[in-house]
Amino acid sequence: MKHVGAIAGRELRSLFASPVAYAVLVLFAVLAGFFFLSGVLQFQDYVVRMQAFQMAQQLEELNLNDHVIAPFVHVMSVVMLFLIPGITMGLFASEKANGTQELLLTSPITIWELVLGKFLAAAAFVALLVSLLAIYPALLFWYGDPELAKTLAGLGGLLLIGVTYAAIGSFASAVTQSQLIAFFLAFVLLLVLWMLGFLADLGAAGGAVSNESVTGVLRWLSTAEHFESLVMGLADTKDLAYFAALVAVSLIVTRAAVESVRWR
Amino acid sequence: MIEANGLSKRYGELVAVDDVSFSVQPGEVVGFLGPNGAGKTTTMRMLTGFLPPTDGSATIAGHDIFEDPLAARRAVGYLPETPPLYPEMSVEGYLTYVAKIKDVPRAQRRAAVDRALERCGLAEVRRRVIGALSKGFRQRVGLAQAIVHDPSVLILDEPTVGLDPIQIREIRALIAGLASEKKGDKARTVILSTHILPEVEAICRRVLILNRGRKVIDQPLAELKAGGASLEEIFARATAREFEEPSAAPPPAAKPGAPAPEVRS
Repeated sequence: MKHVGAIAGRELRSLFASPVAYAVLVLFAVLAGFFFLSGVLQFQDYVVRMQAFQMAQQLEELNLNDHVIAPFVHVMSVVMLFLIPGITMGLFASEKANGTQELLLTSPITIWELVLGKFLAAAAFVALLVSLLAIYPALLFWYGDPELAKTLAGLGGLLLIGVTYAAIGSFASAVTQSQLIAFFLAFVLLLVLWMLGFLADLGAAGGAVSNESVTGVLRWLSTAEHFESLVMGLADTKDLAYFAALVAVSLIVTRAAVESVRWR
Repeated sequence: MIEANGLSKRYGELVAVDDVSFSVQPGEVVGFLGPNGAGKTTTMRMLTGFLPPTDGSATIAGHDIFEDPLAARRAVGYLPETPPLYPEMSVEGYLTYVAKIKDVPRAQRRAAVDRALERCGLAEVRRRVIGALSKGFRQRVGLAQAIVHDPSVLILDEPTVGLDPIQIREIRALIAGLASEKKGDKARTVILSTHILPEVEAICRRVLILNRGRKVIDQPLAELKAGGASLEEIFARATAREFEEPSAAPPPAAKPGAPAPEVRS
């Protein structure tokens, strides 16, 4: 596993040599700023209105964690749905298009080293995105008193789901040599995984899926479902295991996809 | 140094390489010839570990490509048909990266990169970005990545394709120089594929001609040309054999300067 660092390092440097990384960072920061600001303004509006109507009880229940930070983390996880494929699309696809795949596969490195190196580079970028994002909730600590643990749980959930997206994006990039196809494939996979819960509900409502256990399984498979409990600070080992398993499965099929050039 | 035993590669019905065996001694420089689609690139890819053979096996510097693939790959420097370059990297950064993944020990990495830069005449462009280099320089960077870990075997797939005549001469001289270099106490072994027959005569001692996946000629160049025929005639005869009557006279070799008459409608 000694080559993982070299591969991850090269990947990150290449990412920052291309405009894609900066485009994603800027887009992410701008969207984060917009959603955060609108969240705070809405919160303020609530407070003012509830004070005007003397709704003491509702005012009591209003808090920064549930009404600003959680929705913010939520919406940013949706933003990640289409920004992370932008980061991962080049991981393997560009090596194929460049012909550098031939260098990698004739070097004394294992495919696991290659896959892990690439995945870790993407995961490090996700960590950078999340830490950039952490500035906004941090501002709230200046002016208010949100719960630290709950805030960290939300950000940690975002990091976890982002890293999972990176693993799925790696797979999409490993099956094609076109970055565009890799992007859309990753986006579609992530979107479907995200919406499985809604789809199950929709099917149940429409009568298409009447079996309780089927909708249950679909809902359990959905990333949105597990992310929800992370953001609410209700994470248990089952949710963590779900994301770990999703990452592991994605990396295993990525490895198989990379190796498949040898068996064609 | 290289032992290939019955190497075959099949893609479903298509047989790309069919039972090719040969052995290359340390210090030999072998020219791989054959028409397009003869299986040259596929054979090279099997030797370098990029593709596994469907049948047969090979050893590189004593390491079996199946049983000890990493050691076999460590012993090979490979320049594919398209040089495997990262356009956004600097020449020096790229070679350092290649040295890392080719297992050059950390303490020797700098010296290895410097030597490769020096050897391939890249010293003055070491900080330039690869994407901004001319085609000739890019080809040199490709050669530099093949030698950065000082391999005992060099496998070069059409190293001069797409270069201008002056660049071709430079690269050819470079390859001849690399071939004569010592690796430990033995000279370096080189396999080179090309379409340019004079290139073979300039660099190689031995010729291996593939046609439709089969080995048709494997002889020292001097022995081949002892009959008085030019390499071009020999090549044309060897690769046309499938379509000719066995007893037929050798077809008149096309003169390199005289293009075939074009038929226009």
